[in-house]
Amino acid sequence: MPVLAASGIIKTVGAGRAARRVLDGVNLEVDAGEVVAVLGRSGSGKSTLLHLLGGLDRPDAGRIVLAGEELTGRRPGALARVRLRHIGFVFQSFHLIEELSGEENVLLPARLPGARRGGERRARRLIDSLGLAEIAGRRPHELSGGEQQRVAIARALVGDPELVLADEPTGNLDQDNGATVLGLLRELGDRAVVIVTHEPEAAAIADRVLRLEDGRLREDADEAMALRESA
Amino acid sequence: MLTAALVVSDGLGRGFDRAAGAADLPDAIVRFDPEPAGQVAARIAALPDLAAFSLRREFTGVELDAPGHTSENAAVEIIGPGRRGYAIVAGRDLSGRPGEVLVERGLAAAWGMPLGGRIELDGSSPQRVVGFTESPDNVSYPLAGPRVYVAQVGVSVPPGVNLAEIWLRDPHRLDEVLVQARATSYGVHGLRFVTRAGVRVLLDQAAGIVIDLLVALSLIALLTAAVMLAASARAEVQRRLQAIGLRRAVGASRSYLTATQGLEALIVAAPAATIGLIAGTLATYGPTSRLLMMLNEPAPGAALALPLAAAWMAAVAIPVTSAAWPAWRAAGRAPVALLRGAELAAARSRRRASPIRAGLTVLGARLAGARRARLVATATALGSSTGFVLLMLALASALVSLETDPGALGKRYQLTAQLPPAAVGQVRAIPGVQAAAPRYADEAVDSFSLQETIDVIAYPGDHTEFEAPPLLGGSRIARPDEAEVGAGLADALGLVPGSTLAIQLASGGELRLRVAGVVGSLDHDGRVAYVPARALLARDPSASEQLVVRVRPGADLTRVTAALGATAAPAAGATARGVPLVDTLRAILRAVAIVDGLVCLYALIQTCALTVQERRRTLSVIRAVGAGTPAITRLLAGAALALVAPAAAIGIALERWLLGPALARLAAGYATLSLGAGAGAIAAVLAGLVVAATVAVLWVARRAGRESVVSGLAAP
Ligand SMILES: Nc1ncnc2c1ncn2[C@@H]1O[C@H](COP(=O)(O)OP(=O)(O)O)[C@@H](O)[C@H]1O
Ligand SMILES: [Mg+2]
Repeated sequence: MPVLAASGIIKTVGAGRAARRVLDGVNLEVDAGEVVAVLGRSGSGKSTLLHLLGGLDRPDAGRIVLAGEELTGRRPGALARVRLRHIGFVFQSFHLIEELSGEENVLLPARLPGARRGGERRARRLIDSLGLAEIAGRRPHELSGGEQQRVAIARALVGDPELVLADEPTGNLDQDNGATVLGLLRELGDRAVVIVTHEPEAAAIADRVLRLEDGRLREDADEAMALRESA
Repeated sequence: MLTAALVVSDGLGRGFDRAAGAADLPDAIVRFDPEPAGQVAARIAALPDLAAFSLRREFTGVELDAPGHTSENAAVEIIGPGRRGYAIVAGRDLSGRPGEVLVERGLAAAWGMPLGGRIELDGSSPQRVVGFTESPDNVSYPLAGPRVYVAQVGVSVPPGVNLAEIWLRDPHRLDEVLVQARATSYGVHGLRFVTRAGVRVLLDQAAGIVIDLLVALSLIALLTAAVMLAASARAEVQRRLQAIGLRRAVGASRSYLTATQGLEALIVAAPAATIGLIAGTLATYGPTSRLLMMLNEPAPGAALALPLAAAWMAAVAIPVTSAAWPAWRAAGRAPVALLRGAELAAARSRRRASPIRAGLTVLGARLAGARRARLVATATALGSSTGFVLLMLALASALVSLETDPGALGKRYQLTAQLPPAAVGQVRAIPGVQAAAPRYADEAVDSFSLQETIDVIAYPGDHTEFEAPPLLGGSRIARPDEAEVGAGLADALGLVPGSTLAIQLASGGELRLRVAGVVGSLDHDGRVAYVPARALLARDPSASEQLVVRVRPGADLTRVTAALGATAAPAAGATARGVPLVDTLRAILRAVAIVDGLVCLYALIQTCALTVQERRRTLSVIRAVGAGTPAITRLLAGAALALVAPAAAIGIALERWLLGPALARLAAGYATLSLGAGAGAIAAVLAGLVVAATVAVLWVARRAGRESVVSGLAAP
C-alpha cells in the first residue's frame, strides 16, 4: 500500500476573473522508501500541490489518503495532528523560528501537544547525524543557509514522519550546500519523500521524476534515467 | 475609553463652578429665625459692598406628596422678588401666578415627575410643576431632602422671612462683610451663614477623592490607548515593509511613502476615533449626569466640546505619527533590505539561547519580548491598572471596616448602654469590663458659616481611652477650655491649633474653646468636636448621655451585654450615621473598577492580537509543523504571561508604595485608613488578571486558528 495516494486533485486559486485552475486532475502515489521529484516551471502549481498533499490547504475536488487516513474533509485540528505525526515539511526559505536556537527549532514539533514519544531522543540523534552538534546552540541568523536547511530537515524528521514534503529545498543554497541537502533527502530510509522544484538537478537523486504541466502530472521516466546516468 | 474618563473627570471636576455660574449662586446664604422682611432688609442694605440681596421664607419638614411618592422632610422656599440663586434647567421660572411650583431636577428625576405634573404640599391644593431647578448650595435628593420653590403670591404663610441670599460686588471681601453682618445682627436669633466657599469645601470633601481617582484613571487609560494605538499602527507598517521597499525600488520618494502611510492611518483612525468618541460619550454621559444631578450640578454639555475635540485629535495624531515615523525610517533604508523582508528594528537579540528549554509557553514569551519597548510600555500600563484595581479593593474593604468596625473610627469601646452616669461604678464591677465612662453628646451649629450640624462629644476624663481618633495636628486636650476638632470641621471653618472654636449648642448656649488639636474622624464627615464634659454640661445640662464600655480582650461580649441590661447595644460604625462620602465612593468605585477591568482586558487582547499579526509567518510555520489551536493557545498564553507577570509585580508595588499611601494621605482628613492591599485582594486581582488573560488568549487563538496557514507562510 502506498504511503501517499492522491487522485483527481483539482484546485482553483484566485477569485472572480483572476481565478485560475492550477491543478486539474492530479493523480499521485508514493511508496515507502521512494523519492519522487516533481519538476515544473515557476508558477506551474508545485507549491500549491505540496500544500494540498501536506494538509495545509484543501482541494476543490479529489481524494488524498495518507498512511491509510483520508485527509479530505477533516477538520483543521485533525489535519494539524496528521501533519504533526505523519508529515515533515522542508521549505525553500527554511522558515526557522528566529527566537529559538537551532536545537530548540528541532525540538519544537516534539514538544507540541499530541507529538509522538521519543522526540527528544530522536532530536539528539538527528543533530549528531546531520553534523549539527557544534552549531545547535546558535540562533538561525547566526547560521549559514546550508546549516539552516540542515536544521530544518532535522526538524522535519523529529516526529518520525512517513512522508517528507520538500518545496524547492535547494532554492536558496549554493551548489555544494544544495548537493548536501539533496543527499540527506535521498538517505531517509523507508520514508516517502516528495521534492518539488524547478531545478533539474534535484531529479538526479529521485527514484521517479514527474512533470507538472497544465495542471496535470506526467511521468517522465526518460528524463530521470538520463539525469541519473549523467550524474 | 479615553472619552469615558474625560467625560467623568471633567464633569465632576468642574461641575461646581459650572453649577455656581449657571445658578447665579449667592456669595452667602443667611438663615435666621423669622423676622419681618422690612427690618431684615434695612440691616442687609446697610452692609458694605453689597450688590444685591433677596429675602425668602423657608419651611423645612414639610410633607410633600406626588403621585406614587411622598416625603415628610421637604424644604419649601417661598420666593419673593429679586435674584434667584437657582438655575432653571427645564420648563420656566415661576410667573408670579398662584398654583405654580419649581422642583429640583434631582428630585424630579428620582420621582419621575414630568413638567406640568402636580404635587401637594402639606395637603394643600395641588400645585403645578412648571420648571426644574438646579442650585449647588446643597446636594440634591436623594442625598438631601427634597426641595421645591413656590411664589409668594397666593400662599398663606405666617409673616416674616428667615432666609437671605446675598451677592457682593467683590466676593473677596466676604469675610469683612460677614464680620459686619454679625455685628449688626443683634436681635436676630438663630443666625447661620452658608458661604459659597463653605459649600465648595463640603462638596469637595465628598467629591475630591473621587475626582482624584478618576483623573488618575483617565491618565492610565490615555497611556494604554497611546501605547496600543502606536503599536498597531507600527505593526501595520511592518507588515507592508516589502511593499514599501518595492515602491522605493521603483523610485517613490521617501516623503511620498511617509505621507502615504500617514494618510492611510488617517483614513482608518479618523472614523475609528469618531466612533470611539461617540461610544465613550454615550456610555458615560448618562451615569455622570445622574451623579451630577445628585450633587445639584449640571451635566457638562457644550463645555465638554473642547476637551473632546482634543481627545479626538490625540486619538488621530497618535496612530498617524506612529505609522508615518516607521515608514519614514523604513524608506530611508536600502530597498534591497526591505525586499528581503528585514525586520525594521534591530529585533535580533544577540542573546545566546537561554538555559530554559523553550517549550511553547517560553517561545510565546520570547515572541512578545521581541518588541521590548512595547512590552515595557504595555506592562506599565497594565500594571497601573492593576494597581488601581488593588486600590479599589483596599478602599472597599476599608469602607466596609468603617461601616462595621467602630475601631476604624478611633472608637475603642465596644458597647453602649442608656444608663445614668451614676451607674458607672456598678458597670465597672461587671466581670469582663475593662473600663466604663459616661459619654455626653450634643448637636451644635457653628456660629458663623456652616449650615451643617456639629457633633459635640464629651467625656469627664481622658477621652482617648474610649475614643482616640488619630491626631493630625496640634495636641490632645490638656486644659478645661480646650477642644479637639475633626478635620472636616477644621476644613470648613478654617480652624488650626490655637484658633477659637465658637459653637451654638442645642440649648442656645454658646461654647467658646481654644482648638488644641485637629483629629481625623470619619464620623459625621469629620464635623465633630471633642470637648471636656464640664465645659459642655455648664452650657447645656440637657446633653444626651450614655455609658460606654470597653470589654477586656478575650472576655465574653454577650455575657457583658446581658449584664448591662436591656439598653446595652454594640457601638456603631460610621455608616450607621450615613456618611455621604462612603456612599458616594462606593457607587463610584464599582464603575471605576469596571472601566479599569476593561482597560486591562483591552491591553491583553491587543498584545495577543499584535503578536499574532506581527508574527504571522512564525505562527504559520508552527502550525505547518503540526500545531493545532491548543498549541497556539499555549503559545499566546506565554505571550500574555510575559505581560501579566511584570504587570502584576508593577501593580502590587505601585499600590503598596505609591497609590495606597497617597490616597491614605488624601483621606487623612477623615480618618486613618490603612490602604495597603491585603493578601486576599492581591489574590483576587491576580485571579482577575488570569481570567482576563485567558479570555484574551482564547479569543485571539480561536481567530488565529481560522487563518490560512498557506498565506501566512508567504507573509513577510
Ligand atoms: N492565494 C493565491 N491567490 C491567487 N493566485 C495564487 C495563489 N496562490 C498561488 N497562486 C497562483 O497559482 C499559481 C501556482 O502557484 P505556486 O503553486 O506557488 O507555483 P510554483 O510553486 O510552481 O511556483 C501561480 O500562478 C500563482 O500566482
Ligand atoms: Mg513554489
